[in-house]
Amino acid sequence: MTTQLASGAVGRGFGDRLILAATIALAIVMVIPMLWAVGLSLKTNQELLVDTQSVLKAPWTLINYYDILIGSGVFRWLLNSIIVSTGMSLGVLVLSSLAGYGFARLEFPGRNVIFVLVLFGLAIPEQAVILVRHQLFSDLDLHNTYAGLMLPGMSAPFGVFLMTQYFKAIPTEIDEAAMLDNASRFKIFWRVLLPMTLPAQATLGIFTFLHAWNDYWWPMVSGTNQQMYTLTVGIASTQQNFAESAGLGYLMAQAVFASLPVLIVYMFFQKYIVRAVSGAAT
Amino acid sequence: MIRPIAILLSCLALTSCGVQQPPNEIVVQRFFGTCNAQYGTRTDVAAAEGECGIMTTLINKFSAENPDVRVRVSPVAWPGYNQLAAQLAAGDPPDLVTMHLSSIPDYQSRALIEPLGKDLRAVGVDPQGFTAASSAGVNIQGDVFGLPIDNWAPLWHINMNYFRQAGLVKDGKPILPRSPEELLEHARRFKAATGKPYLVQTLAIERASYARNLYTLLMQQNATIFPDPQHIHLQSPEAKRVVDLFRQIYVEDLTTKNLDYAASTNAFINGAGGVFIVGTWLIGDFEAESRRADRPLSNGYTVRPFPQLYAARDATYIDGHAWVMPAKERTPQQRDAVFRLLKFFADNDFEWSRTGHLPAYQAVIDSERFNALPHRREIAKLSATGMTLPASVQRQFPVADIVGEEMSAAITGHKTVDAALADAEHRINDLLFHVL
Repeated sequence: MTTQLASGAVGRGFGDRLILAATIALAIVMVIPMLWAVGLSLKTNQELLVDTQSVLKAPWTLINYYDILIGSGVFRWLLNSIIVSTGMSLGVLVLSSLAGYGFARLEFPGRNVIFVLVLFGLAIPEQAVILVRHQLFSDLDLHNTYAGLMLPGMSAPFGVFLMTQYFKAIPTEIDEAAMLDNASRFKIFWRVLLPMTLPAQATLGIFTFLHAWNDYWWPMVSGTNQQMYTLTVGIASTQQNFAESAGLGYLMAQAVFASLPVLIVYMFFQKYIVRAVSGAAT
Repeated sequence: MIRPIAILLSCLALTSCGVQQPPNEIVVQRFFGTCNAQYGTRTDVAAAEGECGIMTTLINKFSAENPDVRVRVSPVAWPGYNQLAAQLAAGDPPDLVTMHLSSIPDYQSRALIEPLGKDLRAVGVDPQGFTAASSAGVNIQGDVFGLPIDNWAPLWHINMNYFRQAGLVKDGKPILPRSPEELLEHARRFKAATGKPYLVQTLAIERASYARNLYTLLMQQNATIFPDPQHIHLQSPEAKRVVDLFRQIYVEDLTTKNLDYAASTNAFINGAGGVFIVGTWLIGDFEAESRRADRPLSNGYTVRPFPQLYAARDATYIDGHAWVMPAKERTPQQRDAVFRLLKFFADNDFEWSRTGHLPAYQAVIDSERFNALPHRREIAKLSATGMTLPASVQRQFPVADIVGEEMSAAITGHKTVDAALADAEHRINDLLFHVL
């Protein structure tokens, strides 16, 4: 028995070590390109034009970051990205929660048909609708406005689907108990059920925020005024032609800079993000 | 719940307000990046370097000299056509936009840009003064649809130190091939003497370089590339000869392989081969490198136009940049400001030519100060031998992409040359059929 336990422990230990080693190896593979990008961002463009391996040798410089901070409207673009990402996330949470509750709990004519129609949205790629959407926003004079940047992302079939499924998973007895206590339907939604969906809200909110933060295409064609650029579009606009060779250090500094806010968010909210992602997976 | 919804709707209402353009403001949308840290407020154009620096100081100088005009510069990621298309669709295009000569037909054919000839003449810019290559790029159906900024073409950037080693220098000048056979013979001799491939090429990721080579060598054979604006003709003996040549160079390892744009630039600077086929814009960087000691290019760099490999005609495919004016309603002040700015750019074309690009004006090409710039005398003939594709051909960017994809497949051996040319022809004709 003792021998079996010991061998089991050794086996588990070896297996654990193997998994740990594999995880470390994979982590290194993932991290190296990022470290390489950071390294390139700390070299001058002139040095990198001649030799990219110079990243491994001193001197290093912050000149590329200085150029970004001084030479572009990056703070305005950062503000725009924060407004758009936050606004879109809030909008998605509000609309998806309401819609999810409606589909899960309310009886109304055509509910199933409408739900299927919403789900069709999951199958329609953005590319297929962007022309008509652009025209629609043009007719409504919404381009180069925050509303124009946020509204398309607020139509979130995935969010509606997620929230519907989450509300469905909550036993209806809870609603009935609240009704016995004379609670209105809105109060049941607002006070009883909504707090129970917080894990799903966190998942949806984080995913929507990251999607909005990284989005490039719609902000590029809708926010064409430089004052309305988001961070992704703004930083791309500062690239000089042939930046991949003549301005490599600056290019990498921009990539690092653009990822910093999300990295900071991740550092502070790591626990919640991991929980949200694992929650989405289960 | 009502409160957050109300707040959200209020925010949306507040954020839906647009920005009105003041009557004396013009919006100039351009690529070439931003470099405000270095040149944000500088107006000393002669001291500026590089595309971004010279462009920024030029506009700063114009603004300083024209205080009644407000120029709002809107930099876009290269090439910026998605944004422009969106702006045109929304009815809110900028007042001036940088555009490749090869893209002008796409917009002109839909009346999305205005003819400029009459107004340019009125402010003293004579389109007759454009170089032949520039003129061909902006002249469509008898009118001028852009103010050319420059021309650029694929050039042969040469490592003279290796050329000397291979015995390919005579009287201090590089000996360049005059036929495909001679090109192969030089390349083999070069490799035997230096151990390096003769050509440094961008064969990975980027497609445009394949197309430029093909167009150039088809033009040199007097081949008809586009029999009409809706059809390309690539299943021809001339095209097969060109692709076969590059395939042979590839098979015999006479070229670098698998390098993207940045890697091939790096490779040439670090002495990976003898000839780097790339555009005009790198002359300054390579010249600077040749002045550094103990480097592969030390005192050993020169540049030449694409050599004439076929007897029929000395020609090189050429493209360039221009300012175009999208069609929209403007105040008289804005219109006046646009043409004052165009006149200013025309007057300062020499400054722009310091980027390495060829001037758009014959007078600048012929000027002493232009010819005094490093290597410009050697490439000046491109203003006459450079050829654009026919202005009636639309979608030249995606056409070049398809040409590049298929040529790449043929050269690297993934397809036969015949199959690749047939596929390229079919795909391009299909594209042109659907857009016209």
